[in-house]
Amino acid sequence: MLYRTAGQYKTSYEADQALFPVRQDAILLMVVLALAYVIFPLTASEFTFQTLLIPILIYSLAAMGLNILTGYAGQLSLGTAAFMGVGAYACYKMITLMPWMNPVIAILLSGVFSAGVGVAFGIPSLRIKGFYLAIATLAAQFFLIWLFEKWAWLYNYNASGAIQVPNLDILGVYVTGPLASSVTQYYVVLVIVTLLTLLCINLTRGTLGRTWKATRDMDIAAELIGINLMKSKLTAFAVSSYIVGVAGALFVFQWRGAAEPNLFEIGLSFEVLFIAIIGGLGSILGNYLGAILIVGLPVVLNIVGEIELHDVSLAVWVIIALVLGGLFAAAVSLRSKGTMIGVAVVTLLLVGYAFAQSRGFELHSAMIEHLNIMIVGSLIVFFLIIEPHGLARLWALIREKLIIWPFPH
Amino acid sequence: MKQFAKLAIATAVGVVMGTAAIADGLYAPNLAYRTGPFAATGIPLMNGQRDYIAMLNARDGGVGGIAIDFDECETGYSTAKGVECYEKTRGSAIVTQPWSTGITLQVLPKTNVDQIPILAPGYGFSPMADGRTFQWAFNAPSGYWDAADMIVQYLEGQGDLSGKEIAFLHLDHPYGKEPIPVFEAMAEAKGFDFNPIPVGLTEMQNQSAQWLQIRRTRPDYVVMWGWGAMNAGAITEAVKTRFPMENFVGVWWSGHDADLALVGDAGKGYKSISFSFPDMDAPVMADIRKHVVDTGLSLSNETEMQGVFYARGIVISMILVEGIKTAQDHFGTAEIDATQLRWGLENLNVTEERLAELGMSGMVPPFSTSCSNHTGHSGGWMLEWDGAAFAKVSDHLMPNVDGYAALAAEKAAEYAEANAPWPINEACEG
Repeated sequence: MLYRTAGQYKTSYEADQALFPVRQDAILLMVVLALAYVIFPLTASEFTFQTLLIPILIYSLAAMGLNILTGYAGQLSLGTAAFMGVGAYACYKMITLMPWMNPVIAILLSGVFSAGVGVAFGIPSLRIKGFYLAIATLAAQFFLIWLFEKWAWLYNYNASGAIQVPNLDILGVYVTGPLASSVTQYYVVLVIVTLLTLLCINLTRGTLGRTWKATRDMDIAAELIGINLMKSKLTAFAVSSYIVGVAGALFVFQWRGAAEPNLFEIGLSFEVLFIAIIGGLGSILGNYLGAILIVGLPVVLNIVGEIELHDVSLAVWVIIALVLGGLFAAAVSLRSKGTMIGVAVVTLLLVGYAFAQSRGFELHSAMIEHLNIMIVGSLIVFFLIIEPHGLARLWALIREKLIIWPFPH
Repeated sequence: MKQFAKLAIATAVGVVMGTAAIADGLYAPNLAYRTGPFAATGIPLMNGQRDYIAMLNARDGGVGGIAIDFDECETGYSTAKGVECYEKTRGSAIVTQPWSTGITLQVLPKTNVDQIPILAPGYGFSPMADGRTFQWAFNAPSGYWDAADMIVQYLEGQGDLSGKEIAFLHLDHPYGKEPIPVFEAMAEAKGFDFNPIPVGLTEMQNQSAQWLQIRRTRPDYVVMWGWGAMNAGAITEAVKTRFPMENFVGVWWSGHDADLALVGDAGKGYKSISFSFPDMDAPVMADIRKHVVDTGLSLSNETEMQGVFYARGIVISMILVEGIKTAQDHFGTAEIDATQLRWGLENLNVTEERLAELGMSGMVPPFSTSCSNHTGHSGGWMLEWDGAAFAKVSDHLMPNVDGYAALAAEKAAEYAEANAPWPINEACEG
């Protein structure tokens, strides 16, 4: 019904190979874009910008960069955070050496430096693969962090060893630094992320993407059909590191405002890798879904944990009930057991917590944090069990079921 | 849908019965860390802060007739979480207590725009003392550079320093690097050898490489700027390598009772400079016991309450409350806002008499702040571990602030320039 594809005839090759051959997909995308470009900026609070919208976009971009390398070209990398650091430090150096430079151009150029570093550290991939390559990229991770700490020129000999983002403007509007408003920062991030996503979608669908996928699936066979493995692997490292570098520059310049070397520790690499894996390796959409889960969910849970549930108005409860009920009904009709269990657990938790609160129970901030870690951790396990290929694959399955709904096979 | 109907009923009942404690009063959030690798050192401080405010709310009904809504937001010492907490609380908060040099560095540039005072007692960026440049930041009663100066003064009291070697074991983090410029300047002036030894965040608990270096070079003194798990790591390692404990001195964040209790008698002689001191017989402790501990509101325990860090938490909350009180008296209103609290923190005058009134004599040196001096530089004491507790082993030490005034001014100017346009309060004199 909602997703009926019957009657959508393709009469030309262009139409058949369009980015979104199904009309509903295009409509859905328009809705998402309208939300991102118009509704969110109009309604979001400062808190939402700084803790949800901006970081989710930046993490998605970083995961997308990694996904090009790991998901499309099959080269496992554990050095993502270090490449983000290269982007951030390159941007900082460019802007402090050439203060007249347009900050957006500096952010886009900073990716070039990380692409160079990425290619250099990608050279071992010509000889080794799999876990061995992961170890080689781990070397990049440790070496680059060490460099950020010891090479004082990189942070302009600042006594604290940290870099601070200066106030920079374009035509009188502050774009970076503490004086920049969150809306401006959000739009800068959004436009850059949109453009790079478009680039990635097209790259992965084109010749380059096909050579990457061939390399990933079986490199010997790829070589036999005439694919230059060196070119394929190194371009994957270059494109991936470029995107990761831009994400790193955005990370510091449009979000954090200051950075010390240990910000780019291996923990960040893993976080980005988890986003890519949980979102779905070899997909673009998955990066966004993964980032929402890993970056957005803890923040939302923290807020929910602190709300006095009995102060919430009835209207909100009705909306929550409708959403949960609707999801449950959809899950039942789609026979998706995982979703059913998920919705039931969420409902139970919510009701239980509200009941406990009405009895005078209060969660301490530290306890919320502990619970948060447990919930997010178990959700990661849960999603990986019900769909090992990630959230993007989960969405694809739901979409397929929706297309034939209400007549399941 | 049935359960939601039930829930609605439960909600209604709850509201009628008035179990919903809607907190009101002055909203003073604390960016606490009771989780993560630094939790062990964080918890006693957070408990001290929390208990002092709880005591005031129970005993006096708050400050100036209005309760203080003291709320914690968990950061786990992570800068990202800290910024999240800052964004979450700043809407109605009258103060930000960032609790980490990293978070302080992140929120410092925003304070001019958001107009919320940062209260960072004994931590943060030392040049914050310059109130003309850092109008919204306060690190009373002492900054890191004061600590560095007092430690060197104390060591000089043990004998001439020229030709001696001081190893500086520090966390490789903005916090640990903070005092290096002052130590270097003093090394040049006094002719001692200054040798920084960084400890990375990942090697906090395994410092064998650093201590191997110390054993090889045999420095006359080791000065430590450690935090969290690093302190315990360094102290156990020092005991293991038989470094003479009396030549081992830490900053105030490296003087945590629990870290030394691990080694007990073997840690005898270890020293730590401090701007606060625990006094279990002080009237304020009796009040906390009566109004908070006995009523079951406290999260602390007996051993923790005897420690240096719990007492420091009390002192830190006292500074905030005195700021609120000063502002209330000046503006003639109980419900002060962030701008008014800024004035209050800038005009603190906590004298010996005031401390006696508060029941906190000897727990912190008397101090005062002004428009141009946001630190107060009131000095502190050298504490020594006697095998079971810390004891004062020096008179009241005062930092020689003039020694690094030029450096502070230079760093403040550098900061203002890097963050241009940065407003300077020209109205301040001196």
